[in-house]
Amino acid sequence: MITVNVTVNGKKYKRDVEPSKTLLRFLREDLGLTGTKEGCGAGECGACTVFMDGHTVNSCMVLAAELEGRSVETIEGEAKEGVLSDIQAAFDRHHAIQCGYCSAGMVLSVRELLKRNPKPSVEQIKEGIEGNFCRCTGYQQIIEAVLDVSGQEGSKGELHYV
Amino acid sequence: MLSGFNYAAPRTRGELLDLLAAEGQGAKLLAGGTDLLVNMRSGAVKPRLVIDVKRVEGFSGIEWSAKDGLVMKASTTINDLLRDREVRERFPLLAACAHDLASYQVRNRATVVGNVVNASPCSDMAPALLCLGARARISSKTGTREVPFKEFFTGVKRTVLKADELLELIIVPAEEGGARGSYRKLKRINGHDLGIVGVAMMKKGGLMRIAVSSAAPTPVLVDGLNETSTPEAAVAAVRKAISPISDLRCSKEYREHMVEVFVRRLLEELK
Amino acid sequence: MFEQNESRPELHVGKSERRVEGISKITGDAVYVSDMAFPGMLHAQVKKSPHARARILRIDTSKAEALPGVRAVIIGKEFNYRLGLYVVDKDILAKDEVRHYGEAVAAVAADTLEIASEAVALIEVEYEVLTPVLSHMDALKEGAPLVHPDLGKYDYVPVFSPQAGTNIPNLSKLRKGDVEKGFAESEWIVEREYTNPSVQHVPMETHVAIVEWKNGDNITIWTSAQSPFTVRNLFCYTFKLPLNKVRVVVPHVGGGFGGKAGIHLEPMLACLSRKAGGMPVKLQASREEEFSLLPCRSALTYRIKTGISAEGKIVAQKMTMYWDAGAYADYAVNVTRASGYSAAGPYEIPNAWIDAYTIYTNKPYGTAYRGFGHVEFFWGLERHMDLIANVIGMDRLEFRRKNLLKPGSITITGERISEHSGNPTKCLDAVAKAINFGKLTPQEEARQKMTGRRIGKGIATLHKAPAMPSFTATAAVVKMNSDGSVIVNVGLTEIGQGSATAIAQIAAERLRFPFSKVKVTIEKDTDKEPYDWQTVASKGLILSGNATGLACDDMLAQAYEVAAQVLRANVIDLDHDADRVFIKHSPERGVSFAALSVGYAFPDGNAIGGPLIGVGRYVAQGLTNLDKATGQGLPALDWTFGAHGIIVEVDKDTGEYKIIKIASAFDVGRVINPDIVRGQCIGGMIQGLGTAICEGYIYDEAGHLLNPSFTDNKIPTAKDLPEEIESFAVQTAQVDGPFGARGVGEHPMISVAPALGNAIREAVGAELLHMPIRFEDVWRALTTKEPIDNWITKTPTGSCRSDPATRTNSPDSAAAP
Ligand SMILES: Cc1cc2nc3c(=O)[nH]c(=O)nc-3n(C[C@H](O)[C@H](O)[C@H](O)COP(=O)(O)OP(=O)(O)OC[C@H]3O[C@@H](n4cnc5c(N)ncnc54)[C@H](O)[C@@H]3O)c2cc1C
Ligand code: FES
Ligand code: FES
Repeated sequence: MITVNVTVNGKKYKRDVEPSKTLLRFLREDLGLTGTKEGCGAGECGACTVFMDGHTVNSCMVLAAELEGRSVETIEGEAKEGVLSDIQAAFDRHHAIQCGYCSAGMVLSVRELLKRNPKPSVEQIKEGIEGNFCRCTGYQQIIEAVLDVSGQEGSKGELHYV
Repeated sequence: MLSGFNYAAPRTRGELLDLLAAEGQGAKLLAGGTDLLVNMRSGAVKPRLVIDVKRVEGFSGIEWSAKDGLVMKASTTINDLLRDREVRERFPLLAACAHDLASYQVRNRATVVGNVVNASPCSDMAPALLCLGARARISSKTGTREVPFKEFFTGVKRTVLKADELLELIIVPAEEGGARGSYRKLKRINGHDLGIVGVAMMKKGGLMRIAVSSAAPTPVLVDGLNETSTPEAAVAAVRKAISPISDLRCSKEYREHMVEVFVRRLLEELK
Repeated sequence: MFEQNESRPELHVGKSERRVEGISKITGDAVYVSDMAFPGMLHAQVKKSPHARARILRIDTSKAEALPGVRAVIIGKEFNYRLGLYVVDKDILAKDEVRHYGEAVAAVAADTLEIASEAVALIEVEYEVLTPVLSHMDALKEGAPLVHPDLGKYDYVPVFSPQAGTNIPNLSKLRKGDVEKGFAESEWIVEREYTNPSVQHVPMETHVAIVEWKNGDNITIWTSAQSPFTVRNLFCYTFKLPLNKVRVVVPHVGGGFGGKAGIHLEPMLACLSRKAGGMPVKLQASREEEFSLLPCRSALTYRIKTGISAEGKIVAQKMTMYWDAGAYADYAVNVTRASGYSAAGPYEIPNAWIDAYTIYTNKPYGTAYRGFGHVEFFWGLERHMDLIANVIGMDRLEFRRKNLLKPGSITITGERISEHSGNPTKCLDAVAKAINFGKLTPQEEARQKMTGRRIGKGIATLHKAPAMPSFTATAAVVKMNSDGSVIVNVGLTEIGQGSATAIAQIAAERLRFPFSKVKVTIEKDTDKEPYDWQTVASKGLILSGNATGLACDDMLAQAYEVAAQVLRANVIDLDHDADRVFIKHSPERGVSFAALSVGYAFPDGNAIGGPLIGVGRYVAQGLTNLDKATGQGLPALDWTFGAHGIIVEVDKDTGEYKIIKIASAFDVGRVINPDIVRGQCIGGMIQGLGTAICEGYIYDEAGHLLNPSFTDNKIPTAKDLPEEIESFAVQTAQVDGPFGARGVGEHPMISVAPALGNAIREAVGAELLHMPIRFEDVWRALTTKEPIDNWITKTPTGSCRSDPATRTNSPDSAAAP
């Protein structure tokens, strides 16, 4: 067992962890923060995306033992006292959610993208969420939500009637 | 699932080398973990001890000087490289290869060192480092040596590194700064994917180097070309250097064909 | 009563109300089975077969049992329970023989995941490796080893026709008119074979379940499943238990796509729990296990022979489908049945002949997957229509328009199409127009010049009806709370498709309440929810929507009845708004729903009414079983028609291509929620693109699956989106659909691949007969290199089975008879 002091969503935790425990399992099993999901456990799908020291990482590819002194942000820290963040609200408005299993990782990747690029082009949005698989939505409404939250044109996709 | 190993996070280079020397085969260095943890999860690698390099003083960051060139450390991530202005301006080929590696969040963790030590035939950083004449500085408790990358890879997932050795620095010579270069990578989808074949080309001061990934047991450098080499000569030299196989990603024939197409197109692009 | 009120503008139907469960999903609050844990819960792991076919000689579990923390170890021999949706052909764990790579042979429940996986590693299994039957075409041959020698002894649902002594668990036939006569009368005959491999559904949440088997056979199952009642019913059938002993709970589900329609991990976990003294046992499949321990979509070889008249009318079509079920029949037999009656597409064909075989092989087994066979066979069918048009020299749009079903047409099963059935021509025209089909615009010409890549355009039609038994039924319960808000219970699960929101809109509309007053429950519990057949087949909106409407009417009727007494008026003179029931004539005289909701008491103590609870029941109308010899009958509750149009840009030197635009149109009858319909259109389309461009199982000669992970089974990412996407809705009202609506959950995935294949053919001339269409496949077709059946072995076991003779590049076997 290794003792780590870590800040998660602004709260300090001191926990003993097995060296083999991933950050993903630590969050879900030890802290009960189950909003972060596992889609592959192998770095491919991005369902497990969280912030670590200010940048997104695949939490299935990080050991909890590495956490000493680090700070982690998860989807549970995104809404504040019941108020959705701007990104979450845009996802909700644009139906950028279907089964919801990719949503936590997707929102955090979008947050990272907007931090480094407040007005990303469609191409840049696609690249920013390339590491987050979504099997349901086909991404388009997610892209529109990002355009909307960054105050850009093209966010209003329509169903056409014939 | 991962199981059954210990974890150490030494703070100094000395501690790390001591641990490596003591544990030898049973130890594995952990940089970004994007290869190591995948291999441990699948059971391909079963270390007793995982030694994290990221807490070691002086092992992070990226440095440029006209004297020493570009120096990447053991914890320098792919995104560190891409965020660095010197790299973007002086080493466009490094940036091009880095940009094509995995997804954004993987690049936040994946290191340049880890990529080359993993020594996959489809490594995306190797072609750039080969073209740019980069060297690996390798250290152990007993000393330090430097190996040029064209001698670094010895087989599929094999390198010159010994169990107690650390790849401490990757050095790109200053004189390669300003070289023009570009990278073409064939993938199965537009999204992130391992390369099916990759071709990097670099041109500077009459010199031309081509390096190819996923077309031989190791990434390969094609030497002996210069800016006046004809496309036919370049293609012939590349053909000689590679030995592609058929696997579930692609056939040998298609690999050969695509390498040739990429070489010709890169020649056009960097004309 | 309220029916007598004049029609009023709709409040909710046709509006993009937010998803009812959106906030819980976007905040991480939503709980999926993978997130659940119970006190004392044990973790299971599975020992899996490394062989495609082998005899189990010995299993030694003693070391695993001795490991501290192990609470139960089970192997197949311990049990005599058999499982099966339609053909009862599966043991809970393999017994004497393993039938596919990745099949479960033993399972462990332990205190932690780590202990369970250590224990699994300690289980020793000795196998005698047998020669597997890998190609479904070889499995049909005389003398092929039998995957199920006991097929003749298995129980099965009588609409199917297992062939004892063969590898064929079902053969569906259809005969309409006289095909041979039709061919004789034809000007042209075009025949070819089209193929596609098995693929994986890839829900982002892999299969996961928790089961506890308590004393007295009180069993609770929490599972990530689409159809809780099916899980319960099949579970009870297998264990011979009464239905009221088993409770199945389904919370949020992280995607299903058909892969979670049946019963999967639950029986194995139940056996572990019982053996472990009733402790809850959890298992979540790893991504790798999702590919082979759990089922996939069947591969198909589809041979089509079409006779066409001089005017370009299809006269006769003979279709033979060879479906690769893999090791167990599961849904594959029903996929075969359903595609066996719709394999001709939305075309009018006077003389039709279909033989559709389901074939056992030693590979992971096939199950339902979005489109239920239609994605697979439309690949061939719509490539074939292009081929015919090219061969006979007719415009590809014109040829299709000429042959599409129209009011008055008779389908191949003998059903008459009416003006309410939906309009395939309108869908096709919409997409053709959206992509400027038939020509390149000046911008496209310029782009082509600039890039050197060739631009081509393709179209493809599609149709599908829900595949379900004639007694398919559902129910809804609408309950009013004492503040006048309501709760709707339906058995239909919310797996991402958005039906909970659509049901809420239908309820709010029918009640004429604000949307916020209606809650549709998300967690489904077979003890609490009214019965629903299954959440499959794009039938949810019609059936549960109708039931919900009826339940709302029922509840309002109860409210009116009490209000009539309170207000001393006739029911016919009453009306209501969001808050109260009142007298039309003098609206100031009314009584609030809150006052009526749980019963009304007069000041003198007389009390009337009671909690307002409306019930609505709906059973599918007019379905008949099909005649086994001729396939004639009425299989379709409704047909949703649609079409895709694709603009593609192809590099003819490398075979690489890029999709510039895709336009999709579906006749959904009535759009209940435009954003949700569009989400289905685009999401399904991208899933169809995955099938079209990159997905597929690859095996080696011994039947080992070589790509059970995202490393080598890529799925589309955001970067794989076409540059432009347009979605269209046609609204030909369905007479018996809620507000005229019909389903569109599966349809967007269908026919994406042939539209792409047709576009590539037009751009560079590559004639592709196998999907997925990898860049290398295009290059091979262009360089007339022999297409590779499998990159590893060249044996026809891999992702690309096809007969080389049918894959040449030369103009097709088209000739006048
Ligand atoms: C989803 C995904 C996609 C990927 N896509 C690509 C891609 O497109 N292109 C590509 O090239 N790669 C790809 N990779 C592989 C991987 O991300 C890269 O190779 C990465 O650069 C490895 O770096 P790391 O820091 O994560 O290495 P680690 O996993 O930490 O280490 C890799 C190996 O190097 C050893 N090691 C680490 N540091 C040292 C050191 N200082 N001295 C000696 N040995 C050391 C480790 O023990 C281990 O054996 C992908 C991986 C994933 C998970
Ligand atoms: S679960 Fe971490 S990337 Fe898929
Ligand atoms: S919403 Fe289901 S995976 Fe994205």
